[in-house]
Amino acid sequence: MTSTLTPQRRTRSSPAAPGPRTAQAGTGLRRAGVQLLLWLYAALAFGPLVLVLIGSFRDNADILRQPVGLPTSLGLDNYQRAWETASLGTYFVNSVLVTVASVTLCVTVSAMAAYALSRWRFRGRALLAALFISGLMIPAKLGLLPVFYMYQSLGLIDSRVGLVLLYAASGIPFSIFVIMGFMRGLPTELEEAAKLDGANEGRMFVSVVLPLMRPALAVVTVFQFAPTWNDFFYPLVLMRSDDKYTVPVGLTRFFGEFAADRATLFAGLVIALVPLAIVFAFATKHIISGLTAGMSR
Amino acid sequence: MTSGPRRPARYRAGRTGLGWIAGFTLPALLLYSLLIVVPLVTAFYYGFFHWEGTQRAGFAGLGNYQEVLTRYPLGDEIPVALWHNVLFFVGTMAIQNTVGLGLAVLLYRNPRCKRFFQTVFSLPYLISPLIVGYLWSLLLSPSFGPVNYVLQSVGLDSWARPWLGDPDTALPVLILVNAWQWIGGPMLIFLAALGGIPRELEEAAALDGASSARAFWSVRFPLLMPAVGVITVLTFIGCFNIFDLVYALGGSDGGPGGAMDVLGLLYYRTAFEGGTNAIGESSALAMMIFVLIFGVAIVLERLLRRREVAS
Amino acid sequence: MIGRRSGVLALLGTLTLGLVACSPSASEGDSGTSGDGDEVTLEVWGWRQEDVAAYEKIFQLYEDANPGVTVEYVPYKADEYDTILRTGLGDASGPDVAQLRSYGLLQPLVASESLVPLDDEVEALADFPDELMDGARGVADGQLYGVPFALQTLHVIYNKALFDEHGLTPPQTWDDMIAAFTALKTAGVTPLAATVADTWMLPIQHEIFGASTYGGYDYLDQLLAGTADFTGQPWVDSMTAWQGTSEFWAPQFQGVTYADAQALFTSGQAAMFPGGIWELAVFAQANPDLELGIFNVPPPPGAAVQETLVPGYVDGSFGVSAASPDQEAALDLVRWMASEEFGQAFTDELRQISAVPGVEPADELLAQALEAHLANPSPYVTYAYFSSDQPTAWDLASESLSDFVLGGATAEEAAGHIQQGVSQWFEPQS
Repeated sequence: MTSTLTPQRRTRSSPAAPGPRTAQAGTGLRRAGVQLLLWLYAALAFGPLVLVLIGSFRDNADILRQPVGLPTSLGLDNYQRAWETASLGTYFVNSVLVTVASVTLCVTVSAMAAYALSRWRFRGRALLAALFISGLMIPAKLGLLPVFYMYQSLGLIDSRVGLVLLYAASGIPFSIFVIMGFMRGLPTELEEAAKLDGANEGRMFVSVVLPLMRPALAVVTVFQFAPTWNDFFYPLVLMRSDDKYTVPVGLTRFFGEFAADRATLFAGLVIALVPLAIVFAFATKHIISGLTAGMSR
Repeated sequence: MTSGPRRPARYRAGRTGLGWIAGFTLPALLLYSLLIVVPLVTAFYYGFFHWEGTQRAGFAGLGNYQEVLTRYPLGDEIPVALWHNVLFFVGTMAIQNTVGLGLAVLLYRNPRCKRFFQTVFSLPYLISPLIVGYLWSLLLSPSFGPVNYVLQSVGLDSWARPWLGDPDTALPVLILVNAWQWIGGPMLIFLAALGGIPRELEEAAALDGASSARAFWSVRFPLLMPAVGVITVLTFIGCFNIFDLVYALGGSDGGPGGAMDVLGLLYYRTAFEGGTNAIGESSALAMMIFVLIFGVAIVLERLLRRREVAS
Repeated sequence: MIGRRSGVLALLGTLTLGLVACSPSASEGDSGTSGDGDEVTLEVWGWRQEDVAAYEKIFQLYEDANPGVTVEYVPYKADEYDTILRTGLGDASGPDVAQLRSYGLLQPLVASESLVPLDDEVEALADFPDELMDGARGVADGQLYGVPFALQTLHVIYNKALFDEHGLTPPQTWDDMIAAFTALKTAGVTPLAATVADTWMLPIQHEIFGASTYGGYDYLDQLLAGTADFTGQPWVDSMTAWQGTSEFWAPQFQGVTYADAQALFTSGQAAMFPGGIWELAVFAQANPDLELGIFNVPPPPGAAVQETLVPGYVDGSFGVSAASPDQEAALDLVRWMASEEFGQAFTDELRQISAVPGVEPADELLAQALEAHLANPSPYVTYAYFSSDQPTAWDLASESLSDFVLGGATAEEAAGHIQQGVSQWFEPQS
């Protein structure tokens, strides 16, 4: 199940194709065409980001005069200005704290609930599952005002805990949906064996089920991480103090302040993007194998 | 292992203690109910009252609903915004998902540098939609944007346009920018689904003499249907909830002549730019939007599931 | 039995785990307002992020004169400020004093009783002219809720160097002005950096180019009395007069945003920027070498009045939150904001026109703007007088002027849009 990628590669290189010579030339040409298409789209996907990167080294007046062009010098003035005014460092720490905590909380409670819902039979099970899954279709933001007043009475305004709980809650339907789907396709032999060995429900969940769930947990984590990291609506309304802002809210402030200074804006964007891009590049392998495992049930 | 009737996965019926059941389901249930379900029910309740700023005044019955549906120009803007959501959904399905599928097939056939391409194609997904919006409005700016500048410098002057300022191009640009950001999602899902299809099936078709295109459409595509189903439901929910990107591209009015006005913006305007009774009116509007999205999503899900079972 | 207890324990365990995992932020969430002792910190919220440094200097004066009081200016992004303020007022962790928007945007805050009425608290308000106080008045109860801080006047701001280069002077007649526009256009300079994509700028530009066509305060009186409405010929003509200048806007003006327009002007690609007097400070910061001048649009042929009208309105006021734990200290601060000391510091530091009567701006252009406005004042009709209920004339005008200039509606249709919306709630005062 986890090795779906390797066998294909083996088959591809096997000389099983009929009519080797002519087909080889044809596929060679076609392969070049495919490569070309892929590179074209890569340019489209990456081009705008490259423009930002180049722009971040240019002088603002220069950008206004000539929107596309190379930097005249590799000065870091823009970066210095962006870093100093935007306090992106603080926002970054907040974003990491809030995102990691809420994704962890969400995945933990969802895994437990999904396990119970897919393995145990009890009264109201189907109803409970339906209640959770139907949350997939609820536009949670429509409840923002009531959440605000609830938080106000609980003293959770301007608190990162409040934000974490809210994000965790809004990720539950999707997480349960994915994990339950995964559990449905998972054979029960190991769990039965553990049961025979006398493990209780808690032990079994932690030492048997959680490791088996790993691919599904990876998918859920990935799909919760980015939207939480990127959300700006909740912190905008629920947070008050500058030192608790997350990156997106901080950036909108930054955008307001530097609307006319494109060069500094570009530098700020690059600062905000680079760490994420690095994390993503390293995590791609896990993300993709998780997805593959999740989809190829 | 993947084909054939699955054995029922559940076991030991009725033997799990109530305490375990509660312990495993209650944390999720509590969080979810308190912060998602209760607020929506509260919003429903709010919608029946007249509000003076943040103070609740008299019971209004269906007054807020009537006000929202009949007040000029709000009443006229609702169907328009809904229509834009529909167009946005259709356009996104047509562009983002077909291009996503195309890229997935290309990558599947041609695994060289696969990881690199996957990463690059999915990169925009990391950027907050709000920032994507600001970024593209800078790039598409008629006076200082590189897009028009490039078009003009390669002699395509007539192609240069005030992209986001022209009611005819604003919505298509919105669809394209959105697709640019999210293309990685469908691509990865399709790629994973393609990887899960047994190789033998296609080889069998090839032995039967089917062309590779025929083999794709007759053998592989039907097996991608579950993935299409998942993507359709996710796209629908995403498209009807869209807010950040449109807000950044066109402001809270929804761009030129309201060409990009969508339900999310309409709710934002009533709730946060509305008058004294904003809470009452926006809650009523929220309920109508909720019923619409929820209803359609359930029907959509049913349809797709039936199809999946039938195939 | 045991099963149940361990289940509950598991539940508690997860909850506390979740809370502990993110506890660094748990406590000390308060905004720094402490009501006890002599030390008081007052939080002043506002939407002017660019003004933080100036406000620090201004409030330093107050802090020096009032030991123990710390005043902190907390700015939010202008677009989101209203949202944040509406929810933040009425919350003890919210502001003590807040910059309030004027006219219609103030009303929801008044209705929710989040503000302290100032009629009996701030005596100096009696000396402020009535038109100014309209901006800070609750429509329902007629009470005053804020001390106005700035008078904004609307002009055409021009680049002196570009005018000199092309041998131009501020126009005295409409024909002069069109001739100047044409000369610049022929010379390859964009005459007007007009904002189109950010629709809130459209009613401002309409007032700048259309005020004398519909007739300023005279027409406003008729509108308020119900003897004229927005579909009247003077108003329709004023929209056409404004839209007629669009041939002198930037190429592909449909997509020009506020930031684009500012950049067009400060980079010297456009010679004029129709906008508020607050732009002076912004422009000076973006390009300190820029030499600026202002003029107002002379009446076109067929205008209702023959004077060159200068539109102006109250931008905002400072009000006191009813939920503030330090209300007395906040009221003291607001009283000081009605004094000449504050007014002078405000105009000196922020390069804006103070609303405090008798304060003379030191800045030459500001003085010119104020003098011109006082000589021939004109209202900002849709923002100031038809915005107390939904839909506001200001929103309607933004939409309809956008439709009009993009070719989606005629002047009559655009004017009809405003009238149809407003007539649902507006009751003429007779």
